Amino acid sequence: MIKKKQGIAGWAATVILALYCLIAVILIGNMILSSFKTKTDLIYNTFGFPKLFVFDSYAKVVIDDGFLRNFLNSVILTFVSVASLLFFSAMTAYGIARYEFRAKKFLEMYFLVGLMFPIQIAILPLFVIMRGLHLTNTFLGMVILYTANLSFSLFIFSRFFRQLPSALHESAVIDGASEFRIFAQIMMPISKPVIFTVGLISFVQIWNDFYLPLVFLTKRALHTLPLAIYQYLANFLAYWNYVFAAATLALVPIIVVFFLFSEQIIAGLAAGSVKE
Amino acid sequence: MRKRKSYIGFIAPGFCLYTLFMIVPLFVAVYYSFFSWSGMGEKVFIGLGNFRRIFLDPRMASIFRNALGNNFSYMLVALFVFIPLQILLAYLIHIKIVGGRAFKLFIFLPYVISPSIIGFFSLLVFNPNIGLLNATLQSVHLSQFAGSWFGDVGKAFPLLVGIIGWQGIGVGMVIILANMTDIPGEVIEASVIDGAGLWKRFWFVELPFLKPSIVNVIVLSSIFALTQFDIPFIVGGLNGGINGRLDFLNLVFFRYTFGDSYNGETAMGFGASISVVLFLIIFVIAMAQNLVMKRFVEKDGNP
Repeated sequence: MIKKKQGIAGWAATVILALYCLIAVILIGNMILSSFKTKTDLIYNTFGFPKLFVFDSYAKVVIDDGFLRNFLNSVILTFVSVASLLFFSAMTAYGIARYEFRAKKFLEMYFLVGLMFPIQIAILPLFVIMRGLHLTNTFLGMVILYTANLSFSLFIFSRFFRQLPSALHESAVIDGASEFRIFAQIMMPISKPVIFTVGLISFVQIWNDFYLPLVFLTKRALHTLPLAIYQYLANFLAYWNYVFAAATLALVPIIVVFFLFSEQIIAGLAAGSVKE
Repeated sequence: MRKRKSYIGFIAPGFCLYTLFMIVPLFVAVYYSFFSWSGMGEKVFIGLGNFRRIFLDPRMASIFRNALGNNFSYMLVALFVFIPLQILLAYLIHIKIVGGRAFKLFIFLPYVISPSIIGFFSLLVFNPNIGLLNATLQSVHLSQFAGSWFGDVGKAFPLLVGIIGWQGIGVGMVIILANMTDIPGEVIEASVIDGAGLWKRFWFVELPFLKPSIVNVIVLSSIFALTQFDIPFIVGGLNGGINGRLDFLNLVFFRYTFGDSYNGETAMGFGASISVVLFLIIFVIAMAQNLVMKRFVEKDGNP
């Protein structure tokens, strides 16, 4: 490989960082390998290759413990929430960014408050409100909360809408399209890359979210993957061979998504966090 | 862009959801904090009673001070260790050291891992009986260094900070890195022609350009530090780990608000007062940082 020369300090940094990155590789690799071990293999050979690849842990986790249910809960909740969040945040951002009106500046600030105060600060009144509306222990309630927490997505969307040429909108008006049709049939299609980026980031965040499910989904049948894994950890010593399989099932989808789309996730996250 | 009323139709649904579920609760928390309330039944107005309990009740005040102290200790580490590291890492990737592209991915990777799995990893590594770390130390005949890690009063907190840092360090790094990529090429070329070495180039040419992203990372890290919950809860438990070394304000809040079998107390009014104090601390710190940064940026004449 032809590279421009790198001094001693550069190589030292390369080696140190490579070792540092190995931590993640070893932890994840070991978890996946161990999920295929038998319990005895795991005890005597905790950190090596499996002597024999078996699916006992997966069978136990998926069939006996109903982990499939948790998996489906996570899939459904994440997809519906991401779709709802994208729809509402894009629409709100569009209304703020593409129109001129008196409260515009105020609304821009108003929607940034959510970035400053994470949802945890207000969780108690939120809990009372949700209980009053009979939305605790429902996916509908969770979808509403993930949608209401729209500051970050809205911020990325409005930045995108602001830089679109206004001619786009005007030519559509001349064609007689209604405002909502302009949004749905012209603006949404050209926003595909942004929708995709925001969708990916929200997917990662909602899929991994621990706090809101912990507070609002107390019924076991509604537990998402992070909660199910937490339950296993609470009885760690009794079940630790199963945690490997459970954690692998939860982690593999997100790792696949991350490596396929790392550029979009990283660029989107970085862009959404820098205010002008 | 024209003046049209249809913007209302676009904004209203998101506005209502956001207001009802994000903004209103912030204010309702203030209201609840003046009451003694178990969450069910009658609310009894007790004025500043809850706040008095937080700051003056000897047992409560020491729990509160300890937790807040941990939040602040973590914040100091984030500001003075993690952020310089994030700048350094971003810079190394920016100047394209060998392996930089892969490093960017793998340093960021832990961020996409759920906190419960991070908790699982920390058990795997630091469990005194079956953990990787003690096993490795024993196999290389260094068992005198093996320890009980999270069971050790002196080590629990630094370990936890390390784990949280390991998970989150990539975020600030990529925010700063994106900012570095925006630095105009001519500026750097000019400095290279002037004979500036890597270090000088970084310190005098690039760092001033990075203020917007660094300011943001400082604010985000501080808020993150003050609202720690997931990993301390999973690793140290609801009661804040050994001797409260892993206790944080949000854990105290959670214990009193939602109660549990150990405390046998669900005190929503009191819980609300803790979250109000947290809210005020975040508010003051964010404002203070804003002011300091503004002055900083203006003085150097660099927007």
